[in-house]
Amino acid sequence: MSAPEVFNLGQTPITSHAFNADRSRVAVSLNSNDVTIFDRQRNDWTPTETLSEHDKLITSIDWAPNSNRIVTSAQDRNAYVWQQTPDPQTGHMIWKPTLVLLRINRAATFVKWSPNEDKFAVASGARAIAICSFDPEGDWWVSRLLKKPIRSTILSVDWHPNNVLLAAGGADMKARVFSAYIKDVDKRPVPTVWGEKLPFNTLCGDYTSPSGGWVHSVGFSPSGDVLAFAAHDSSITVVYPGSQAIYHIRMTTLPLVTLTWTSEEAIVAAGHDCQPFVFSGNEGGWQLIGTLDDANANKASGRSGFGGPASPVGRLQSSAFNTFRNADSRGSSNSNATESELFTVHQNTITNIRPYDGVPGAVSRISSSGVDGKLVVWDVSAVSPISVGGLAGKVGGMSLR
Amino acid sequence: MDVSFRKIDIDQYEEDVLLDNELYEADPRDPTQVLNDTKQKGAAVHSSLSKGDIQGALELVLSDAPYGPNVEEAKNLNLQTLVTILNSTKATEIPGVVKSLSQDSQDTLMKYLYKGMGLPGWGDVSGSVLLGWHEKLTEVAGTGCIVRAMTDRRVV
Repeated sequence: MSAPEVFNLGQTPITSHAFNADRSRVAVSLNSNDVTIFDRQRNDWTPTETLSEHDKLITSIDWAPNSNRIVTSAQDRNAYVWQQTPDPQTGHMIWKPTLVLLRINRAATFVKWSPNEDKFAVASGARAIAICSFDPEGDWWVSRLLKKPIRSTILSVDWHPNNVLLAAGGADMKARVFSAYIKDVDKRPVPTVWGEKLPFNTLCGDYTSPSGGWVHSVGFSPSGDVLAFAAHDSSITVVYPGSQAIYHIRMTTLPLVTLTWTSEEAIVAAGHDCQPFVFSGNEGGWQLIGTLDDANANKASGRSGFGGPASPVGRLQSSAFNTFRNADSRGSSNSNATESELFTVHQNTITNIRPYDGVPGAVSRISSSGVDGKLVVWDVSAVSPISVGGLAGKVGGMSLR
Repeated sequence: MDVSFRKIDIDQYEEDVLLDNELYEADPRDPTQVLNDTKQKGAAVHSSLSKGDIQGALELVLSDAPYGPNVEEAKNLNLQTLVTILNSTKATEIPGVVKSLSQDSQDTLMKYLYKGMGLPGWGDVSGSVLLGWHEKLTEVAGTGCIVRAMTDRRVV
């Protein structure tokens, strides 16, 4: 059990973050058109390079660990693959962008390298997912579009370990599994629980959450035999296609927007409640077992404020609420008291969770980033149980300082 | 600020419009059957209420609640039935009743509370009744329940 490492990268939201293989560098976008690369120096991160090519907001970044290439997607409907090459004049290593021919007419929303790093998938608002592979003759990245039966913007994708299947979740309230088989790149995949014959654009599965809602995040388990997704109805769903078992966990908190598998039987997910929740289960059933954000530890580390009895009303008890209540019941309108702090490490929505340490199936640490400009590394074994009624209470217990 | 642009139908020139009914599964029953079912439920609810079984009455009215287009009459009827239950429950009993409801029923109840609050003049429900139930339900089911009531396209 170790305390989370917290880094403040800026006062602006972190749109996306991606580490390199040895975790010495991280590429982030601070809600802008540029990617900033930070280098780790002891316990601090210093910005060293800026990748500028996009002319609208960057939506997603992914860093391929083995080939050391970065792929970025943005609202300008483009994606770039960045590769380190020596500058012909100075000899310094610089990041050189290669344009990807996406052929989409709406924003690119999400990007992810395939496990073999020979393909990547770009989700978009054009009701399509571009599966991109390198064409050595043209010396560029070309794409094939997954279109049917997508009805709206795709918000997230995840690759199956076999490099062929792709899960996608979107604003049409569906999580789907597609085949993204590219003849020139992939060998014939061995049959999986998702299907045997897998030509491009085969739909292998189609799932919804209990009350619908945008599917914010999808993820294959390390084996690829299980699919999990988080939707805007504050639920997380785990699907076993083999036995057709489907488990919905309805949260009492605000919706989760990002998730990652840490082992075949554990998922960490986070979102608008500003803390990473840990789920555990197997083919027999799934449940929420706790949070990585231990409220008591946070208070001990010198956080301001008081715990107070857990209020299950959750975020209703927000700073705005307190301000109005104070104004109403005590007649106080102290403007200095409006600055508030959450009892969680992250002070705003967590938008991104990624594995940080370990191998797929045995992830020991994860990293998270969010709207508060913080990058946090968590030990996934440091799970604190959630007491009954205290789940929403932790966020609910806001303090004035 | 002029916000009239928000009312412009931007989909009118789009050939491939995403329709509401593609976003949720339609009720398999046809509208007349839904209305009949709702009427029958209403009668069953009244008999439960006369026995003082509030939780049973609530579970009944919240199961298979009418949703979707073309069932306005059934929707209103079900709301009326529900309001009878809400009004006849003592404030001290609410927490216990809410706790014992299934998650599905809790989510549906939240939808009806918001529907009630959305009616002009709040229908014939007093505001304090709806807000009282809303407070207790939120304490049990959390903000997640409110999010589900807002997210679900199967509008009651």
